Amino acid sequence: MNALGIIFSDMQDWSMTELAAHRSVAAIPFGGRYRLIDFPLSNMVNSGINKIYLITSSKYRSLMEHVGSGKDWDLSRKKGGILVIPPYSSGETHGLYQGRLDALKRVLDYITSSKEKYVILSDSDMIYNINYQDVINCHEEKESDITAVYTKTNINKSTSIHKILYEFDQEGRAVDVLVYPVTNGTYNVGLNTWVMNKDFLESLLYDAIARNYKDFSYNVLSARVNSLRIYGYEYTGFYAHIDSLQSYYETSMKLLNMDNLQSIFYSKIGPIYTKTKDSAPTKYCSGSLVKNSLIANGCIIEGTVENSILFRNVRIGKNAVVKNSIIMQHGRIGDNAKLDSIITDTYAVVNKDRVLLGYSNCPFFIKKNSVV
Amino acid sequence: MRLAKKECVAMLLAGGQGSRLGALTAKIAKPSVPFGGKYRIIDFALSNCTNSGIDTIGVLTQYQPLILNSYIGDGKSWDLDRMHGGIQILPPYQRVGDSEWYLGTANSIYQNMDFIDQYRPEYVLILSGDHIYKMDYSLMVDYHKKMDADCTISVIDVPIKEASRFGILSSDESGRITDFEEKPKRPKSTQASMGIYVFKWNKLKKYLEIDDKNPDSSNDFGKDLIPLMLRSGEKLYAYKFTGYWKDVGTIDSLWQANMDLLGENGFELSEENWIIYSRHAEKPPHYTGRDAVIKNSIVSEGAVILGTVENSVVFSGVTIGENALVKDSVVMADVVINKDCVVNYSIIDEMVTIGPGLKIGKPKGEDSEITVIPRESVINNMGGLV
Repeated sequence: MNALGIIFSDMQDWSMTELAAHRSVAAIPFGGRYRLIDFPLSNMVNSGINKIYLITSSKYRSLMEHVGSGKDWDLSRKKGGILVIPPYSSGETHGLYQGRLDALKRVLDYITSSKEKYVILSDSDMIYNINYQDVINCHEEKESDITAVYTKTNINKSTSIHKILYEFDQEGRAVDVLVYPVTNGTYNVGLNTWVMNKDFLESLLYDAIARNYKDFSYNVLSARVNSLRIYGYEYTGFYAHIDSLQSYYETSMKLLNMDNLQSIFYSKIGPIYTKTKDSAPTKYCSGSLVKNSLIANGCIIEGTVENSILFRNVRIGKNAVVKNSIIMQHGRIGDNAKLDSIITDTYAVVNKDRVLLGYSNCPFFIKKNSVV
Repeated sequence: MRLAKKECVAMLLAGGQGSRLGALTAKIAKPSVPFGGKYRIIDFALSNCTNSGIDTIGVLTQYQPLILNSYIGDGKSWDLDRMHGGIQILPPYQRVGDSEWYLGTANSIYQNMDFIDQYRPEYVLILSGDHIYKMDYSLMVDYHKKMDADCTISVIDVPIKEASRFGILSSDESGRITDFEEKPKRPKSTQASMGIYVFKWNKLKKYLEIDDKNPDSSNDFGKDLIPLMLRSGEKLYAYKFTGYWKDVGTIDSLWQANMDLLGENGFELSEENWIIYSRHAEKPPHYTGRDAVIKNSIVSEGAVILGTVENSVVFSGVTIGENALVKDSVVMADVVINKDCVVNYSIIDEMVTIGPGLKIGKPKGEDSEITVIPRESVINNMGGLV
């Protein structure tokens, strides 16, 4: 595919204070064995894109460790492959990236030297499966300057503040773009994925340099909606936007529905790839009882697990009961401990006999490496 | 181009048919038989190499190599895609003059002396691809160096009843081997050869050449080459190994080795400093349904379990339908067991579809035998099977 992929790892980490406290949004563990970056990366690879720039601003250590050389996504290539681009201070530009446009301006030389015809921009906080070729086809057909992927969905005031909303005319051309509004109702909600011709993106960036623009959504999408040909591509499959602890919890619990599980991980577009860890299969002991749960490899389960997600290498002790919870990798739940509606970050230890309770609309979060 | 020198090169014998595994090896070589929920037998020898710091491996293939070849690929799953050394598959090849299939284990090495010579090694480690065990070969090589041995054979203590199935050797107090007999009727000791040898390469080369000139030889390490070296007065030493080691050459032993993974005291595959590497499909975590019951079993990624699983090994991508029961069984990758089926004491090979509502196998008891369902079978009525 004749397209360059650009992924932003952490454009919205201000809304993810717990999970992104010590990692970029893209590196948040999800679905038992994945990290959020795996979804846009796999979508791109499955669409035939083999050159990807991963733009990351801060807290990128775990992300870089996860992505490595890119070989788990088949992106360790002589031509193309993946390049991680953290901020690079030189001359007038220094400090962290202040928005997508600022980041793109600062990697302009890498963009201009690319030979690809199209550029696909994607954030990394969306769970969905898409073949970008379909978006490019739509882009060509409409002769768009920018094609924005969106889905029709209900939002409320607490979720809308992290979203970009589009209003289209009958032709599908955007006539209004609202950035992070406070509103209720059914809207065309952007999936923070855009297709452009590379030449057009370059001209946008030259313009942004001349006017000192830094924000793609305000300075381009919203401000120039009348002068640019911005069209929408409607996506209709499973979609989730991870923009808060609550949405993280709810989206994770949706994976316990077989239809959702099938549509995300067994889609026609291809599998979701992730870093290989070589954990052994999970061991169920004679006292284990596990219902309606998603269990990664490497776990040893001696107790009860219901409506929960266990990441790799989790231990559940004897007579422990874990319900409606998410236990990230290397979690240790001691004998007789009782957990309900809990999210434990990686390497958390819950000692024996502890009782921890959250509630479904307010899951209790336990930080990385903590011992309860 | 002259290749970088390597102190030790491993040669992995993976060409055998494994005929005692019956239907399981009808289309694939024994080392590529699936094992333990996500592995193939060869993963153990390859992972042992990687974990022991041995990065140059020749894999000798002959019988049904297709799945084995594509499984190994460039070796990256075992971190063996190396700039210097790495893994190389060595099938028999045509040459000027006589060209032959590999006639025996020793002959397969003889035919690949050029491969080994490229690396100018001091030592050659001979491995077989049909054992389940975790072993640090570097310690064995250290022992070999310390004893200044010409050949070191790894040995394990076996029950005297079973000794006549193995190569049995006797050694003196220093560990020097005094006697070696392949599958003796009246075993003199319980020290069994594990089929793992370290040789000084120059000595091995010398005896391979002598052995090749002997028309009466079967060109086998255990039957011919080791006794020849012993008769010639070379220094052969026994290296004692005490961990878990299982020859999975028969249906019963393959089933048993799978069962050995279960329970709190089972053979441990998730040891952090001795990972068993493997190559596997990208699958999400496994899903257990609302009415699932899983006891004393191991289950791998991508499986969907809606029924009951007891004392079993369930590979990745397996589906076990509602109200189905799987007991005392090994269910290999991508098998579908539809609802209401009952599977007892069986090995179900990859990509089999069963049911709904069928009974496979007889409950495990003193006189029942293991039922084996061959690869890619579709069983949707009772006709002919079980």
